Amino acid sequence: MVHQKDINGLIRLLRSRDIDIQVQAAQALGSLGTEATDRLISALSTKNKTVKLGIIGALAGIKSSRSIQPLIAALGDENSEVRWQAAIALGDIGDSATTGSLCSALKDPDKYVRYGAAVSLTTIGWKPQDAAERAYYFAGLQEWGAVREIGKPAVPALTGLLRDRDSTVRIKAVELLGIIGDTDATPALIQSLGDENREVRWNSVLASPKCGISLKYLPRGLSRRPQNVKNPLIAGVLNFLLPGLGYGYLGKWWGTMIFQIDVMATVWLFKMEGDENSFSLLFPIYLVLGIHAWYITTKMPKDPP
Amino acid sequence: MATIESLKQSHDIRGLIRLLDHGSPEIQWRAADTLGTLGEPACDPLISIIDFPKVHVRIGAIEALGDLRNPRSVNHLVRKLKTDPDNEVRWVAALALGQIGDPGAVPALQLALKDNDRYVRYGAVKALETLGWTPATDIEMACALIALQDWQGVRKLGPGAVGPLIDIMKDPNPVTRTKIVGLLGGIGSSAAKKTCEAALLDRDPEVRWTAVLACKRCGTDTHRIPLIMSERQKTGPSAIGAAILNLFFFGLGYQYIGKWWGFLVFMSYMTIMVFVQLYGNLVFPFIYIYPFTAVSAVQTYYAVKRMPDM
Repeated sequence: MVHQKDINGLIRLLRSRDIDIQVQAAQALGSLGTEATDRLISALSTKNKTVKLGIIGALAGIKSSRSIQPLIAALGDENSEVRWQAAIALGDIGDSATTGSLCSALKDPDKYVRYGAAVSLTTIGWKPQDAAERAYYFAGLQEWGAVREIGKPAVPALTGLLRDRDSTVRIKAVELLGIIGDTDATPALIQSLGDENREVRWNSVLASPKCGISLKYLPRGLSRRPQNVKNPLIAGVLNFLLPGLGYGYLGKWWGTMIFQIDVMATVWLFKMEGDENSFSLLFPIYLVLGIHAWYITTKMPKDPP
Repeated sequence: MATIESLKQSHDIRGLIRLLDHGSPEIQWRAADTLGTLGEPACDPLISIIDFPKVHVRIGAIEALGDLRNPRSVNHLVRKLKTDPDNEVRWVAALALGQIGDPGAVPALQLALKDNDRYVRYGAVKALETLGWTPATDIEMACALIALQDWQGVRKLGPGAVGPLIDIMKDPNPVTRTKIVGLLGGIGSSAAKKTCEAALLDRDPEVRWTAVLACKRCGTDTHRIPLIMSERQKTGPSAIGAAILNLFFFGLGYQYIGKWWGFLVFMSYMTIMVFVQLYGNLVFPFIYIYPFTAVSAVQTYYAVKRMPDM
């Protein structure tokens, strides 16, 4: 295909399930030089993530300046791997005009994208202009010691890291905010008290007083954490209307079994006793089951904070 | 915010208390802060709501009582610290007692150093610091260091820390239990050994693994460790439960053990049963199918038994 310059054929191979074939196809496309650039750029509009990754890899190999704008656009892709790959590709092309976009990518919520952008900026030979830029740069490289030394100007970079999905990054950011101890971190730390991760919350508690947040505000912040608690009303209503499913909602394995037994028993009862007798017999049972499910839900232990 | 300011100007304590239950956390917060500036007249109305069913209202009332620093609220706050079911409320009560600064709260705060929640312990030690309390014995020192989660300090205390560490093993947080077991393994007294062995039965896999390492350091016979651990309560699905479900409600057992297609199997099975009942003139077709579902039940039982649960 390389000899025939079958660009479309090679792009199709990027869809292969075999990673080796994908890599070889991307390398082959990259070896075709600038004549493949336009076709690759137009194929970059695909929705297929694997194809996008292969095309970006190929564009990085070609190093054509025409691919810079599409690659910068790919830094805004919804998929984090595509953004990461685009950041790496811009570093490979090595055009200093891309530093602005790569600096913006240092603020990406994904650590891989930030890391890719920081490494590419290093490759291009970019130097941070001020302390704030240095903080974003070292945070991207996860060089925490360097971030700590920057002090107060690192606060915006660190508060930005609290959006990262990786809880270890959030924990590190909160720890560093505590060490730096600047009051500018207050809103971010208050927010982190309600983080979904237990250790982020705890580290926020330890960091908050160091940033001048009064201890008395912390319990309220913690009480806003997401709590995986079952609603007693839902359990009760479910068990009353569909006996057994309320227990199923609470995670009891036998809940569905009770539901099925009830369905069969009810059908038989209606057949043998008629509507009126069946209702008068079943209603009190359902009521008791509903109240029971409601009661046991109220007594369920909460997740440790 | 304008409403809060006007309520403050008119000393409308009831109005501000109502805002403690406002939909916006920001307004709840400001209302609590404002109530804390209203002095003596706000004390009794706030005390009257510290048992309110909603947690954020109780927190707001206690925050305000802490700011008011009225000694009349101390006994009420001590009661909250000792008995409230919500950890945030106990925590804020501990901090409020520190703010009020009444030395009469010290025994209750010392007791709170053994609370099963790390936030309450942390709040209690911070409140005690505010009250000028200093640990008089090794045990008190250990309790304070544990509350501050100063694990290096606890380690340095050595055997003196074993009792307080064991007291905190009831902490529902597995991270804390893991830390405690690791420290007990390092200290290695006979009481520590007993607790480490008990931790082999913990529900959390990380605690159990730390306990394995700690037991070895405490001198537990290596052959004894798997024997103790085999007695732990299983945390995965019940083998009997899965088997019973598949015997009587073929497919639901698979769904219960996490197979997405379990419910599909169950619905297909039930549909077939209904058709057999309608067109096959069989009153109770399930009897004929039980030998087959029994095979599935046995297979499911052993499949669950083989599931890793370390």
